[in-house]
Amino acid sequence: MDVPVLEIIDLHVSVEMKEIIKGMNLSVGKGEIHVIFGPNGSGKSTLLNAILKLPGYSIDEGEIRIKSKKIQDMTTDEVANMGIGMSFQHPPKIKGVTLRNFLNAINRSEDLDDEIRALSMENFLERELNVGFSGGELKRAEVLKLYAQNPDLLLIDEPESGVDIENIAVISNAINKILQKETPMKLRERSAIIITHTGHILNYIDADVGHVFMDGKIVCTGNPKSIMEDIKKLGFARCVAACIKEPKDHHETIR
Amino acid sequence: MKQFDDTTKGTLRKVAFDEKQERSASFLATDWDILDAHSAAEGLEILPIDTALQKYDWLKDLFFTLVEKDKDTYVKEVASSDVLLGYFIRIKAGVKITLPVYTCYMINSNKFTQCTHNIVIAEEDSELHLINGCTANAHIASGRHLGVTEYFIKENATLTSTMIHSWGKEVEVYPRSAAHVAKNAKFISNYVAMCSVKNLQMNPLAVIEESGLGEFYSVIYAPENSRFDIGSTVILNGNGASSEIISRVVSNGGEVTTRGKIIGKHPNGRGSMACNGLLLSKKGYIHAIPELLGQDPRLELSHEASVGMISKDELAYLMASGIEEDKAKSLIIEGFLDLKIPSLPEYLQRQINAIVKETKDFETM
Repeated sequence: MDVPVLEIIDLHVSVEMKEIIKGMNLSVGKGEIHVIFGPNGSGKSTLLNAILKLPGYSIDEGEIRIKSKKIQDMTTDEVANMGIGMSFQHPPKIKGVTLRNFLNAINRSEDLDDEIRALSMENFLERELNVGFSGGELKRAEVLKLYAQNPDLLLIDEPESGVDIENIAVISNAINKILQKETPMKLRERSAIIITHTGHILNYIDADVGHVFMDGKIVCTGNPKSIMEDIKKLGFARCVAACIKEPKDHHETIR
Repeated sequence: MKQFDDTTKGTLRKVAFDEKQERSASFLATDWDILDAHSAAEGLEILPIDTALQKYDWLKDLFFTLVEKDKDTYVKEVASSDVLLGYFIRIKAGVKITLPVYTCYMINSNKFTQCTHNIVIAEEDSELHLINGCTANAHIASGRHLGVTEYFIKENATLTSTMIHSWGKEVEVYPRSAAHVAKNAKFISNYVAMCSVKNLQMNPLAVIEESGLGEFYSVIYAPENSRFDIGSTVILNGNGASSEIISRVVSNGGEVTTRGKIIGKHPNGRGSMACNGLLLSKKGYIHAIPELLGQDPRLELSHEASVGMISKDELAYLMASGIEEDKAKSLIIEGFLDLKIPSLPEYLQRQINAIVKETKDFETM
């Protein structure tokens, strides 16, 4: 049996001395797509930032393992080079560094030019990275970055935020391509954690497992589409209450 | 041309003086010796300045008309020098040459003081591109370079001058230059310095007449124990004259003062300035001093200045894409120094960017 791509065990993370993640567990296997729902400010992005060991995110207790290796003493680039790629919700503008130079520095893909065309990014290659990009252009650039990185685990933070419907379709198609969604699950090489607070992305990307993240913990796990429907009908708090009552058959309990 | 050893060739290449480069004209001097002064283009003249003075009676009247003879001790030293070293470059009216002129001054003897006086004339409707390298050979422990350059850019002419400096830890450099930019003429001045220097101080002056344009771009990388005080002063001296001063400075322990001053005296003048500095080390400093003086209500003058360190967010973002920290820093620094100069021919822009990449000195990072 394959080892999980990612294992999170009793994780506690703080930012500026304030505990944000308060003891969570998660295991992501090869080829699995996990979606994490949660209200704004619940700490979802903190989880992804902690996995990548970004500065300012302190792992106080518990551990994160990538392909069985503990990342506690690794730097951000070392974690990334373990096969982790993240699409940022708010990527920084980097003046002077063109998209082309950036892609050249990270590219591991053999058919990047095809994806540049598919994401209509040909005219952005000489532009400074993320400078003056619209919401949709930022997300397209982030997905192109993932394509170039060719990671085993994609961390995708709010892919639909600030993006119009047309761009969501383009971005989702590219993500599905990276995730090899046309391939049977057992043969898929790549996994993903997708964070969303609207769930809208599930209209475009099929996830295998859904989680609700509230108050620094995963409080509910089940079928992603069922969880999303329940959140829409009942809101986060009542959806979670029902889930806690009958966690094994989440959807039926809500009904 | 004299055959140099590989070290000297390497020194010259650092300031873009490479005999393999295609060129319209060439000038090379080491210490007091002029080793090459020739033009391969019709309508373009390049002569040692003393030869030009013998050839043209009128030339002596141009001496010290833009840079005052008693401006400071360094100009006085040039004016009273026993040896008159310099070049005279003239492009004739209506002649436009895209291939650049390469000039180079090199200090080749220890403790040598090299005084130079150059005159450049771009006649009416002409176009010329200069690439000027100044350097000290690798074995030079100390020396001084004092240079006066006077640029006369006549009506509708375009002159670009790209100066590349590469000195040494104990070399002092005091260039003194000034330009007169006539009606509808363009002067684009680029300055690149990527290595140590004990002390480099300059503040060239440009007077821009009606509808003329003066652009000044500086790219400086200052390692520890180097001191730069650089700037440009522009006088918008006619209706519709415009100017842009842009400097990008990286201090890795070096002390850098970057100045800019635009003085507007006539209607419809436009001037803008951007001085941006990046500090890589707690040693050293960057002091940005932008100044604007408007003397007519119909002027548009503006400036921006910033001094800071590499953004932690930008660094983290690049590292999160798998780029290791030192490479991520280099990428940001190279990008910061990669100036886009819209009015420069594309091949020259590419060449300047290549020079910045090749000559940058990150040894103390």
